[in-house]
Amino acid sequence: MMKRKENKEKLYLSDKPPLTLFGKIGIFITYVILFAWVYAIIWPLFQMFVSAFNGKQQQYIMANSNFEFSIRHFQYLFTETLYLTWVKNTLIIAGTTAILTLIVVSFTGYAYSRYRFKGRNASLMAILLIQTIPTFAGITAYFTMHSIVSAIIPQFSRQMMLILIYTGGAIASNTFILKGYIDSVSTELDDAAKIDGCSNFNVYRLIIMPIARPMLTIIALWSFIGPFMDYLLAKVLLTSPQSYTLAAGLYTLVTDFRTMNQPAFAAGGLLTAVPIVILFIALQKQLVSGLTSGSVKG
Amino acid sequence: MGKYSVFLYDNIGNTYERKNKYLLELALLDEKIKSEKDNVIKQKLKKERREVKRNKGNHSYIISLRDYEKKEKEFLNELKRSKKVYIKELKEDKTNRKLIGLKTRLFESEKKLTFYKEYIDLSYDAEFEYRKANLDSIHLPKIIEFFVEGQKELNIALNEKEELKNLDEKDFKNDFKKFKVSQKEIFKNEKLRIKKLRKEGLISKKAEENGIKELKKKYENALEIKKRESKKFANKEFIKTKKYELKKDLKTMTKVLEADISDFRRKTPVEIEKTIPYYSYLTILIPGLGQGLNKQYMKMFLFFIATLFIYLVAIPYALGYGNYQGQGIAGLINLAEGGLRIHKSIIFLIEGIVAVFLSIIAVVMLIISFIDAHKVEKNVIKGIRPSNWFETRMTISEDGFPYVVSLPALLIIVFIVLVPIMTTFLLSFTNMDPQHQSKFTWIGITNYKMIIMGEGLAGRVFWLILGWTVIWTLAATTLAILIGFVLALLVNNERIKGKKFFRTIYLLPWAVPAFITIMFFSIMLAPRGVLTEIINNIVGMKIEIKNDPTLTRIALILMQGWLGSSYIFILTTGVLQAIPGDLYEAADMDGATAWDKIRRITVPLVLFQTAPLLVTQYTFNFNNFSAIFLFNGGGPFDPIKYGNLAGSSDILISYIYKLTMDNQYQAIGAAITMFISLGLMLFTFIGFKNSKQFKEGRL
Repeated sequence: MMKRKENKEKLYLSDKPPLTLFGKIGIFITYVILFAWVYAIIWPLFQMFVSAFNGKQQQYIMANSNFEFSIRHFQYLFTETLYLTWVKNTLIIAGTTAILTLIVVSFTGYAYSRYRFKGRNASLMAILLIQTIPTFAGITAYFTMHSIVSAIIPQFSRQMMLILIYTGGAIASNTFILKGYIDSVSTELDDAAKIDGCSNFNVYRLIIMPIARPMLTIIALWSFIGPFMDYLLAKVLLTSPQSYTLAAGLYTLVTDFRTMNQPAFAAGGLLTAVPIVILFIALQKQLVSGLTSGSVKG
Repeated sequence: MGKYSVFLYDNIGNTYERKNKYLLELALLDEKIKSEKDNVIKQKLKKERREVKRNKGNHSYIISLRDYEKKEKEFLNELKRSKKVYIKELKEDKTNRKLIGLKTRLFESEKKLTFYKEYIDLSYDAEFEYRKANLDSIHLPKIIEFFVEGQKELNIALNEKEELKNLDEKDFKNDFKKFKVSQKEIFKNEKLRIKKLRKEGLISKKAEENGIKELKKKYENALEIKKRESKKFANKEFIKTKKYELKKDLKTMTKVLEADISDFRRKTPVEIEKTIPYYSYLTILIPGLGQGLNKQYMKMFLFFIATLFIYLVAIPYALGYGNYQGQGIAGLINLAEGGLRIHKSIIFLIEGIVAVFLSIIAVVMLIISFIDAHKVEKNVIKGIRPSNWFETRMTISEDGFPYVVSLPALLIIVFIVLVPIMTTFLLSFTNMDPQHQSKFTWIGITNYKMIIMGEGLAGRVFWLILGWTVIWTLAATTLAILIGFVLALLVNNERIKGKKFFRTIYLLPWAVPAFITIMFFSIMLAPRGVLTEIINNIVGMKIEIKNDPTLTRIALILMQGWLGSSYIFILTTGVLQAIPGDLYEAADMDGATAWDKIRRITVPLVLFQTAPLLVTQYTFNFNNFSAIFLFNGGGPFDPIKYGNLAGSSDILISYIYKLTMDNQYQAIGAAITMFISLGLMLFTFIGFKNSKQFKEGRL
């Protein structure tokens, strides 16, 4: 019975008008462009992938048609360099930064969204302007501040300084993002909770935080990824290879003649990129929504 | 000489009659004097007023007031003694500590009730004490009863627990196991039924999921209920809830009592002889003292912490004590000039800035304290009773909440962001360069002059670099925006299949950490690198991209186009998907071509939504240190044109890096930094001023 229903001749069921020849050529060109760009993206990444596994590559990555599968660059990375230490350092720095940022920002975002207090608009404007100044601007001071503090408290390491700098840099913009998000949550919920006797803090803890959780996740994620991406401050502030983050550490594999090993860099870069890429693909939607809603919409 | 008003006011604006007959007499005279036009009578009245004042001690009201005060003192002393005895008795009975507190309070209130009742009409203070005691005596018995009852039940339960300790609930356990098995059976059967329904296509996937979730909850609930048949478990649960109840309800009940009391406080004015606030002025330098004189002792305590900060931290630090090396604010001026060899100007500078910030905080504290003390003092003269700690605490948690929770952010911003920026700002007015690393001095705006005139070793190339920075910013960002936008448009075409595939691939340049891709591009474009070889094959001759300024610049722009397009693509895709389809349908009906639709609908909508983010893309590339520095280190170098400090692809931020980090021209680097920062701030400010949000005041 089912078979009889099936019509050999395909019926045109789409509600779009059928394509003209011109349209068909257009679609074809579109595909060509799209695939060309896919190629443009994949090719360099693929080169990195190949170089990382190519046993024939020596210290420098050269144009080389020989390929021999080998994991010796990875072995080099783990045995000859401090790659694992760098991973550990980066994770610690990124994790602490994310937690600190989250704690500080979640309060300021809530306060700025829900309260009209003295100095609110002025400080908001100040925050907006301060965040445009590159963090790098204060680099001379960071050095000296660190040496002053560490002379008094020897436990105060350069990594801690870095964490504080990352956190300080993240407060302004993230406060804005979170404020924008909480603004979109109706205040009726707060009022209802307050009538039922919730304190300010409880309103935040029980009402706002669960609703703002997606945005808080994004903020935490962004501030977690930040130290993975940043090269400049880590390179400048951290001095010993033992304390490097991934970015600063991998850079030594490309520039320093003593430790130069480009395929190992490719291997390390690959290992670093893969988890982050997976994270990005999995959380694509949330990350993007975080970007757009954080903007000051025109 | 201050004047008295006939009535007293509370903070809601209600008026009250004066109870102090002496002050009332003065107030009435004051009123008469004011309304009297005849000068002779006025003088006479004034004289009369002076007379009344002089005979204050003999005034009948004052005499009775003195009498009351004396008696009150005696009464309070007596109360103190009897309270001690009472507490001792309670302690001997081994009463719960909380209960002791409640009971003594009740004991006190009963005594007070009888004492103050006689003086209600004499003074508002007495009336307030009476009402407070009255409330206590109404509320406290209930609270105590509640507490005692709860404690009793809890004790019974606890005893039961002891008895149950050795009980082996074998029967129950078996029973429970059987019950669990049977419930699980039911759960499984139901689940199968739902899955079958789904297979037959009668319900949606969502319904299936929800159905299974519901079943699971049902199953868990059934087990939870059954669990309570166990005596042990029920007992445990009971103890838990009872303890929680005792704690929470007790708190609520006391809160209600406190709230009732403060209600009376608001409605009971206060009466004093003073007419001009003065001690808030006298105590302005010692936060807390004024609060103490206002009889707000907890507040006083809090403000004393501020006093400690001001006199033990801020002022000594500003004067140079407790500095690491510097001399507080003075160090800001002399910059360690003529100091010891190990003294560094930069440390003096930073400690000076920290001292200034601490001083600002101290001044703000003084002002807050003064405003608070002054307000309360002024209100007392008007008749408003100062709020008690319970109310102050409420105010802090209500109005003070945003300040309290923003405090950590403020501290971090001040010390991690503002202090360094101020340092850089001030540094730009000094001569910190390779010759003056340890000691430097103020040289005014010379650095700025050098930059603008294009003079000096470091300033010479400034305009050259600025030019390339602007070209770079515009070209790289615009390229990225164009690529990203066009790709998003193409992929969003409804006839294109494999959208998910394209979107995932196009995400990659953004997802892979930029420093990795930049370094790898750098490797591929190095002499004998993969890309170099390919390009050489195409062109047919040997070219070295990284040694040619123009080619390096082109490569940089293309690379940033590759890197940045991804972000724009994702952003635009998000906006495109949100554009309602009927807009296009309407356009179709009106005979619009595809190009018309893009030009008139898509582009304006996307631009409108993403404009602020596109602007940040430009500022981002303006400061895109990684791309420039990691690709070719700012090179290739061209000493004839650029000198030794910069390469031909350096932008301002990487130039600053080289100035400050590699060549120790910190001062001129700071000046350029300030130059950039001011430009960017202005840029942002203008953009923000024009935004809709700001104009509508919905900040």
